[in-house]
This record gives sequence, C-alpha cells and structure tokens, in this order.
Amino acid sequence: MYDILDGLINSTLGFGWPSWLISLIGYVLVATLLFAVAPFQMLFFTYYERRAIARMQDRIGPNRVGPEGIFQPIADGVKMFTKEDIVPDAADKRVHLLAPIVVVAPTMFMFAVLPWGPGMVPVDLNTGLLFFFAISSISAVGLMMAGWASNNKFALLGAMRAVAQMVSYEIPAVLSLLAIVMMTGTLSVVSLINAQGGLFISTNDVAGVPDLGLGWLIFTPVGLLAFMCFFIAALAEGERTPFDIPEADSEIVAGYMTEYSGMKFGLFYLAQYILNFLLCAIAAVIFFGGWQGPGVGWLYGMAISPTNPDGSWIFNLLAGVLGVFYFLAKTYFFFFVMIWIRGAYPRLRVDQLMDFGWKFLIPLTLVNVFSAAIWVAVTSWGVADGFGLVEGWSPMLRWGVAFVTTLVLNGAAYVIVARIYNSAQAARNRFDVDELRESLALPR
Amino acid sequence: MLKTEELQINIGPQHPSTHGVFRMIVTVDGETITDLKPVFGYLHRNHEQIAEQNTYLQNMPYTDRLDYFNSMANNQAYAMAIEKMVGIEVPERAEYLRVMMVELTRILNHAGALGFLINDMGMWQTQLAFGMREREKILDLFESASGARLMCNYFRFGGVVRDLPPDFIPRLKELLQAMPAFVDELERLLRENEILMQRAEGIGILPRDLALAYSVSGPVLRGSGIPYDVRKAEPYSVYDRFDFDVPVGTVGDVYDRFLVRIEEMRQSRRILEQVLEQLPDAQGGHINPKARQNVRPPVGDVYARIESPKGELGFYLVSDGSGKPYRYKVRAPSFINLTPLGDMCRGYKVADVVVILGSIDIVMGEVDR
Repeated sequence: MYDILDGLINSTLGFGWPSWLISLIGYVLVATLLFAVAPFQMLFFTYYERRAIARMQDRIGPNRVGPEGIFQPIADGVKMFTKEDIVPDAADKRVHLLAPIVVVAPTMFMFAVLPWGPGMVPVDLNTGLLFFFAISSISAVGLMMAGWASNNKFALLGAMRAVAQMVSYEIPAVLSLLAIVMMTGTLSVVSLINAQGGLFISTNDVAGVPDLGLGWLIFTPVGLLAFMCFFIAALAEGERTPFDIPEADSEIVAGYMTEYSGMKFGLFYLAQYILNFLLCAIAAVIFFGGWQGPGVGWLYGMAISPTNPDGSWIFNLLAGVLGVFYFLAKTYFFFFVMIWIRGAYPRLRVDQLMDFGWKFLIPLTLVNVFSAAIWVAVTSWGVADGFGLVEGWSPMLRWGVAFVTTLVLNGAAYVIVARIYNSAQAARNRFDVDELRESLALPR
Repeated sequence: MLKTEELQINIGPQHPSTHGVFRMIVTVDGETITDLKPVFGYLHRNHEQIAEQNTYLQNMPYTDRLDYFNSMANNQAYAMAIEKMVGIEVPERAEYLRVMMVELTRILNHAGALGFLINDMGMWQTQLAFGMREREKILDLFESASGARLMCNYFRFGGVVRDLPPDFIPRLKELLQAMPAFVDELERLLRENEILMQRAEGIGILPRDLALAYSVSGPVLRGSGIPYDVRKAEPYSVYDRFDFDVPVGTVGDVYDRFLVRIEEMRQSRRILEQVLEQLPDAQGGHINPKARQNVRPPVGDVYARIESPKGELGFYLVSDGSGKPYRYKVRAPSFINLTPLGDMCRGYKVADVVVILGSIDIVMGEVDR
C-alpha cells in the first residue's frame, strides 16, 4: 500500500509529501477498508447464499429490492437496527450485552493477517497461522456467555453444543495445518503463499520452472488430505450444514441466539458470516495459493517490492487487482461449496458429529502428519540430516518419490480408516435393532 | 463420573418443527431423552360439538378442516357414513371419481410429509420445495375439479358435486407420466445420502406389539411390519377392483416409515392408472340424482372408515331422527398415531425427537379437533 501511494503521490503527481504522511494515509486507508470490507462481505454473503440456494430449490430468491434484489441485505440491516432490543428479565444483563461483542471482535482481528494480494497484507506476522486459529477460538467463550446469560434452556443447550463442537473440531483443523506447516516450514501466511508459486509439479525447488502461480499445496497428496480434513472441520467451526447443530432451528429454535433480538442478534449473524468468509479465505490461502495464479507473479516481478525497488507502481496496482480477483474467486467458490452442501444434506446428530471428528478425522490427520514428515525427509534432507539415501538424487526424482510414497500412504490410510469407521457405525446400528428384536421376541 | 442433573425442556407449543401448536415436555439427561410427555389440546376448537349443531350437509365442508392436507379423504369418510346410515346408492362413476381424488390426496400428502420430515432433519427446505412443487400440480387439478385448492368440499351424499372438467383427464395423465421421476429422485436421495441414513436408520423404533397395543394405523403401522390397510382389509368403494400392494417395513424405524410412504406413492399411481382405464366404462353419472342432500337419517348409529393417507379415518355418527347428528365422533389417525410418541423417543437424543415426530406425520387440525 505504501509503495502504491508513494508512487502515485510523489512520483506521478509530484507532490513530494514526506514518507510519514504517506504511511499514515496508508494505515488509515487500510484500517477503513478492513472495517468496511468485513460487513460488506457479510452482506454480500447473505445475498449470495439466499440466491444460490434458491436456485437449487427451484425458487428465485430475493429479487424485489433493487435490481435483482441486490439491496435486500441492506434492507435487512436497516430492519435489524430498528428492531426492539429485548433482554429477558431473568438474564444476566451484563454478560448478555457482552457476549455478542466477544463473539464479533475476534473475527474482526483475524482480518489482520489475511493476505489479499501480493504485498497486500495488513500485518505480516511470522506466526500468522497460529494467530488466526488462536483468535478464532476466543469466540467460543462468547458463545458460552450468550447461552448462559440468556437463562433459556434452548440457549444453554445450543451453547453447550457449540462449544463442544468448536473444541473438538479445532483439533483436526490444526492437525491438518500442522502437516502443511511441516511441508513449507513456515507459520507466516505470506511465506506460505510465496511457497506456492511455480508449477504444480513442484514448489520452487526445481530450476527453470516457469512461475505460473500454480504450485498450490492441494496438488500434493499431503495437501489434498489436509484440505479435505480442514474443510470438513471448517464446516463444523463455521457452524454450517451438516454441522449446524448449535443452531439447529428444527430442534433447539436458534441455539444460543434464541434470546437475542435486534442488532445484538445481527452481531451474531455478522460474526458467523465473517467467520465463514475467513475460513473459506484461509482454506484458499493455505491450500490453493491465495492470490497466486497465472500472471500475478509476472506482474509483481515488474512492480516495486523489496527485491525490485525500481519497478513501477502501476504494476503493483495491476498485480494487486489480479491477485485480489484470484483470491476472492477461490474464496467465493468455497463458500459456494458450503451453500451447496447446505442444499443437499441434512444435519448430523450431536453424537454422530463427535464420532466423526474423533474417530475419523483425527486418525486421518495424524497419518497425514506422518506423510508430511516423509515428504520433508525425501525432498529436502541429505547426509547432513542423517538421511544419506536421498543424497545426490535430482530434485525431480526426489519430488516423484515423495509424491508416490505419500499418495500410497494417504490413500491406504483413507481406505482403512473409512472402512473401520463404517463397520463400527454399521455394527452399532445393527446391534441396536437385533437386541430390540430379541428382547421383544419378534420374528426375523 | 460427574454428578449430572436432569433438565426439563418444553418443546413447543411455539416451536418451529412441532407441525402446529403441540407441546412435548421432554426430560433430558444431557442430550439423551429419559422421558417425553406429549401435551395436546392447544388447537382444540370444539369441532365435534359444533358439528352436532349443524345439519348433516353443513358438516361436509367442516370435515375439510380436520386434516387440511387431505380434505378429499375426510369428505369421503363422512359421505360414506351418511350413505351407510340413510342407504344412498352411489353410482359407479362417482365411486371412481372418489377413488381418484383420494389417491391423488395420498400422493400429495406423502410428498409433503416426506419433505417436512427431511426439513426437520435440517436439510434446508430443498426436499420440501420439491415436494411442494409436486403438491402444487395436484392442487391445480383439485382446483379445476372442485373450485378450491385445499378445502375442496367436493363430495356429496350419493356422489360428487360436479363431474370432471374436460381437460382434467389429459392433465392427470401428464402428471402420472411425470411422477415416477419425482418418486425415484426422492428415493435416490434417501438411499444414497449417508447422513440421512444415519439420521433415520434405527431411530424411533416402534415394535410390532407396541404398535398394535397403541392401535396406530396407516404408514406408521405398516412401517412396523403389519400389512394392515383398510383398503384391503375391508374394501370399500371400488377398491376391490384394483390391483395394488401394501408395502410393509421390517424394523419400524423412521427409515421404514420413509420407504413405506415412498412405495405407497408408487402404489397410488398404479391405482390411478387402473382408474383411468376403467373410468370410461363406469356406469351412471357423477351423483345419484335421487339422493337428497338434506338427509334425516333414521334413529341409529353408524361407523364408516377409510384408509386416509395418515391412517384409518373413521366417523361415528348417532342419529336421533332429526336433521342434525346427535353424536358426531371422529377417529382421527394423527391423534392415535401420536400417542406412542413417548415410547418411541425414550433413549434417543433431543435431535431425534423432531425426526420421529416428523415421521409420524401429524396435522394438528386433526389431532386437537
């Protein structure tokens, strides 16, 4: 942002403003943008979801307010603001007020480490991923506060479910990230994306590979399995179907949101959609290269950057626009998948949810961590690390061996774990029915 | 072990998935149900007492309001009771028209009920929207025949109120042709959807002997493995002329009730095709011209029953010789099927309650009367 502003104001327009002023303008702009982008994303997502799911259900969806109904979310927002704020008599008033704030604030923090395009990250923390997941867990506290303070049984049940679900699905999510962190050797979101340039056959290790920005981690067996586990866990953390148990409207009304109205309810809604956006975005960043795509690296090569101070700011802008386009396209696609699942699947029961998380996802992610270790050993170790076997292999050979080994390992793990899980489920169901038949002496 | 406390929650009377104003007092231990007590009566509107103040014919549109999904079936049971009491002959053609309407009602009801059930499982209205689309087509047919979509009031003592409009039969044929695709789609959705199977298999088991003891009927009874269908057990109207099967389940869980309903839609289609074949040869008009509508039945009582889409629907009428019923009693299948709810839910999770309730397929207008 600094580079673009500096190029625009000082070089092109020739104002010659001091650098601190440029920095200040940059910070104010970025902060404003981030605060504007979060609610805007939420508004857009509600409209997007309603239109997309309406298509799946043979309906049209909101189409009255503005052209094709695009102002519908704004009308909904106005409605939220003008509604009466009801606090139940028996509620714990202070906690009741605090809960939505505690839920929304962390989701806003998470924007701090989200990279939008090349050189367009608000803060390049070297522990960005850790920050992201640490912060996202805080909202669980807010949910529990909401459920408890409402003094409503449905709210309490919903909050219990929400917290149990968030805690148990954080483990597979973080474990699948662990494999990625091992492979790339970094926790910084920016270096993670930089590692995903090049072509999909390899990361940047092989000389002469053109930088098409397609070295996404999804193209490795480890990344693929990690992505599957991560996306399922993200569905659970974002409380999306089939894991929307905490607010199962047909069972416990609205879960922890039951006793909230007006803008407080709106804040929960806001937090949820922003969290969904962020989870989709982080999935795009970690596994699909974020803003990486054909052309971005080439454009950014000609732009002003620490390695190339003589570039032109126009290329900064062009690379930024293309990068943001790729990034948002990937993010919106993942959100579309979430909507798709919502249109096609019923929700799991709470015990089935726990079973799936603990007995299926966690074993799979553990195997995946092991695969990631093999990948790292084969692709980058040598005699110095005590692994002399691969010394002297060409990078392509190393890559091939690592790919095949991890593919076989992960594939076998998936098949075996799925079979064990399925037979355990089936055995449990059959057992119930048989026992019942025997206890009632019914004919078979 | 931690010492835990049981929690009593009220599901309803205002709740998104109780299918009306129905209340369940649920005692839960964590998420597991230890006890469930259904509470009815919130929609009580004195149906039977009001019916005793009306003349016999005035009650015909009033029966529409019992189970508002299946007004045609209600009409038929009531008309049959009066015809039995007074001794009115029904022409053959009128009987075929009646069977046609009631079988269409059965398809309509099952399409809607399965949609609502899957909606209760949390599949956000997709199946419901598809079911409602099929229902709309049938309602359009009802509208062209009777002038109303829901409260049809189509039946009269001795027949039906008017004959079919000329374009009815072609439209019905078109509908029947398109129907297998819809039913197959629905079945595929059930059989190939892992999560849906997990939610339905082994849930809400109603064993055979319990089903008999509670005298449940309809798809719930057949789901429990008892092939009892009034259309076969005591053929009324012209049902003895049709060739159709009575599907039964094996275990009596939610999944069996699902499959029974899907198969019943297919069987209804079979019956409708036979109706279309035999209708041109049927004797008589749409109503017996000698039948009086302001009947004064002789002193006595009568019970007439049909297989409504929800189960055995019966009307018990006592006449004192005047123009109004002395006693008017409805055997409502929804109400009787609802009574074993507590036994079906015990031991399952809170989330299963709404699914089990959905699989019984109730309409509160009929339960509370």
